[in-house]
Amino acid sequence: MPAEPPVPPVRAAKPGQAGKRWSTRSRREFFVFLAMALPNLALIGTFTYWPLINNIYYSTLDWTLGSASATVVGLQNYVTFFTSEEASTVLGTTAIFTLVTVGGSMVLGLLVALALNSKVRGTTFARSAVFAPYVLSGVGVGLVWLFIFDPGYGVLAWILRGFGQQSPQWINDPQLSLVMVIIVYVWKNLGYCAVVYLAGLQSLPRDVMEAAALDGANGARRFFSISLPLLSPTTFFLLITTMLSSLQAFDLIRIMTPLGNGTSTLIYEAYLQAFGAYNRAGYSAAISVVLFAILLIITVLQLRFVERKVHYS
Amino acid sequence: MRSNLDRRHFLGLAGLGAGAAALAACGGPSTAGTADAVDTATIDFTGVKPAASIDFWTNHPGKSQDVEKAIIEKFHAKFPDIKVNLVTAGANYEEIAQKFQTSQAAKTGLPGLVVLSDVWWFRYYSNGSIIPIDGLVKQLDIKIDDFQKSLVDDYKYEDKQWALPYGRSTPLFYYNKDHFKAAGLPDRAPATWQEFAEWAPKLKATSGAQYAYIYPALAGYAGWTLQNNLWGWGGSWSKDWDITCDSAQSVAALQWAQDSIYKDGWAGVSSKEAADDFAAGITSSTISSTGSLLGVLKAAKFNVGVGFLPGGPEAPSGVCPTGGAGLGIPSGITKEEQLAAATFLKFMTEPENTAAFSAATGYMPTRLSADMSAVLAATPQIKTAMDQLAATRVQDNARVFLPGADQEMAKAAAKILTQQGDVQATMTDLKKTLEGIYTKDVKPKLKA
Repeated sequence: MPAEPPVPPVRAAKPGQAGKRWSTRSRREFFVFLAMALPNLALIGTFTYWPLINNIYYSTLDWTLGSASATVVGLQNYVTFFTSEEASTVLGTTAIFTLVTVGGSMVLGLLVALALNSKVRGTTFARSAVFAPYVLSGVGVGLVWLFIFDPGYGVLAWILRGFGQQSPQWINDPQLSLVMVIIVYVWKNLGYCAVVYLAGLQSLPRDVMEAAALDGANGARRFFSISLPLLSPTTFFLLITTMLSSLQAFDLIRIMTPLGNGTSTLIYEAYLQAFGAYNRAGYSAAISVVLFAILLIITVLQLRFVERKVHYS
Repeated sequence: MRSNLDRRHFLGLAGLGAGAAALAACGGPSTAGTADAVDTATIDFTGVKPAASIDFWTNHPGKSQDVEKAIIEKFHAKFPDIKVNLVTAGANYEEIAQKFQTSQAAKTGLPGLVVLSDVWWFRYYSNGSIIPIDGLVKQLDIKIDDFQKSLVDDYKYEDKQWALPYGRSTPLFYYNKDHFKAAGLPDRAPATWQEFAEWAPKLKATSGAQYAYIYPALAGYAGWTLQNNLWGWGGSWSKDWDITCDSAQSVAALQWAQDSIYKDGWAGVSSKEAADDFAAGITSSTISSTGSLLGVLKAAKFNVGVGFLPGGPEAPSGVCPTGGAGLGIPSGITKEEQLAAATFLKFMTEPENTAAFSAATGYMPTRLSADMSAVLAATPQIKTAMDQLAATRVQDNARVFLPGADQEMAKAAAKILTQQGDVQATMTDLKKTLEGIYTKDVKPKLKA
C-alpha cells in the first residue's frame, strides 16, 4: 500500500479567531485607547514605577547621598538593617503607630458617625467640623498642635498649671512624643473615618432595623448584631486605606518631631537615613523596600483573608 | 475580589522586574570605583569669564533675609554683569544640606554659592561636592589674612581652603537682668556652673519664672552647646578621632546637668527654641547662639544681659565652641559660575558687608578690619560675642565630622535630660554608635 502523501500541517486557529482580521473600526478604537491610556501609563511609569525600580537598585549600593560614586554591596543593606538594634525599635514604633492610629481613627470615627447620624440640631455643622481637620495641611496642623503641647508656653501647659501641675515633656521625651503624634494623627484623620462610616450607616436597610426593633432588640443589640456586620464592607475599606495611610504618615512626624526620637517609623527612618543627617542613600533605599514589601503583604493578606469576613449584602 | 496571579503571570512580572532593575543600574551614581575627591590640579580660572547669573542658596541665618537682599543690591550696582538670585533653600542648615545633596544626586540645579554649616562642609568636601577656593582667593585677591584666623581655619583641610566664614557664631549666656537684680545677684554671667548652682535657687524663688536656667532644645544643636558642659568638667565628645563621651569627666558633666533638672529642680529643657523661651520670660537664663541676639533684644520685655559661657570645675575658661555657617562653591557647576560665585563671595565677606550682616543679626564680624563702632554703639552686647571669640575652642571631631553625630548626641541628651536615663549607660551606647559611624562613614574617606 503506497504511503499517503504527507499532509501539510494546519495551524490550529484559536476559537473565535479564525479568519478574523482587524477591521478599520477596531484599529481606530485601539489607537483611541492608546491615545487615552499612554499618557497616563507614561506618567505612572515615570513617576511611580521608575523610581520604585531605581530605589530597588539603589538598595543594593553603599552610596552616600551627594557622592558621585557608590559600591555595589548586594543585600548587605538589608542584612545591616535587620541585624541592627534600630530595626526592632523602628519596626516596633511603626507597629504601635499604625495599630493605634488605625484603631483609634476607626473606633472614634465610628462613634462620631453614630452621633452624627442622629437627628438632632447642628449635625450639619458638626459634620463639617469633624471632617475639616482631614483636609487641613499636615504642616499647619503639626505647628498648631506643637504650640498646644509646648511644655513651656503651650495651651495644655497653661491649663495644667491652673491645676498646679507641670506639663509633661511632650516634645523632648521620646515616649511621650509618640503619644503626642498619635493623638494629633488620630484627631486629623478620624473625620475621614467618621464621614465614610456615616455614609455606611445611612445606607443601612431601615426595614431590617425596624424589624429587629419590633422583635425587641435594644439599641446595643441592633448595633452589634445588625449595623456592625452590615458595615463590614465600610470597615474593610477603611482598614485598608487607613492602614496604608498610617504606614506612610510623614508630615506630622516631620514637623512635630524632626529628630524622630521615639517617633521614627519605617518611612521616617528612611527619610532620616538619606536626608536627615546620615546621608546613607543605599541603606535608606533598603528600608524603603522593606516598607514597600510590608505594604504589599498587608494589602494581599487583607484582600485574601479579611475580605472573607465581609458581608456585602 | 480574587487575585489572578498565576505562575505564568508571576514569572512574567519577575522577568519584567529584573529587566527594569538592570535598566535602572544604568542611572544613579557610578559604581566603577571612581573617587569622589575633586581634582584640584585642574581648577584654573585663567581666561574664564564670570557667568551672567548664579543662585545663592541660604537659610537666612539669624533672620538675615533683608540684609542679604541689601548686600545683593549693592553687589548688582558694583557688578552689573552678574545677577545673584537669592534663594531660600531651607529653614535651617539641615534643610539646605538636604536640598544641596539632593541636587548633587540629581546632578542638576546646583547653586553658585551655598551656605554650609560647621557640621556639613566636611561632608561636602569628602563627597567632592565643593571646590577648594585657594585659586580663586589668589585670582580675586581675597584678603584671607584679614579674616578672623580661628574662623577661617575651620574650613582648612589638607592645606586647602574649602569655604569662607559667613554667619559665624558662638553660644552666649543670656540672662534676665531684672530677675538677677531681684534675686540680689551681680549683674553678670556666672563665672562657673558651680557659681550658678548657688545662684539658681535664689533666682527660682524670686523671679516667678518656671526655670532659673533652660537647656537648649535637644532637637536643635544639643551636641554643640553641651560641649561647654563637657569641656568644663574636663570631658569631651571626642579627642581627635577617639570617642570620649563615656569618660568619667564627660559622664560627670552630664550627671550634673541631669541633677540640675531632677535633683535640684531649677533647670528645664527647651522644647523648641531656648532663645524664644528666654525672651518669653519662661526662664531667667539660657545659652543660645549669638545669632539669636538681635531677635532676643527685640522680643524681650525686660533688660537682657549677655556673658561668656560659664566654666566648670576642671576648666574655668576657654570652654566655648565656635559654630555657624560659611559659604562654599559647588564642584558640579561650570567654571564661569564658580568664578561669578567667588566674585560674589568676595563681596559678601568684605569688611563693610560683614559689619552690616553682624549689625542685623548678632553674628560675629568675620573680618578683622570691619568697622564695628556704629554696630557696637547700637548693640553693645555684640562686643561680648566678639570678645569671647578669643576664648573659643575648636569643636570636637565627633560632633562636626561624623554624619548624624549631632542627632545621636541629641537623642542621648534627651534620654539623660528628659527621661532621667542612666548617664554612664547612655554615654556608653552613644560611644558605640559614634564609633560605628566613624568606622563606616568617615574612616574609609580619610587620607592616611
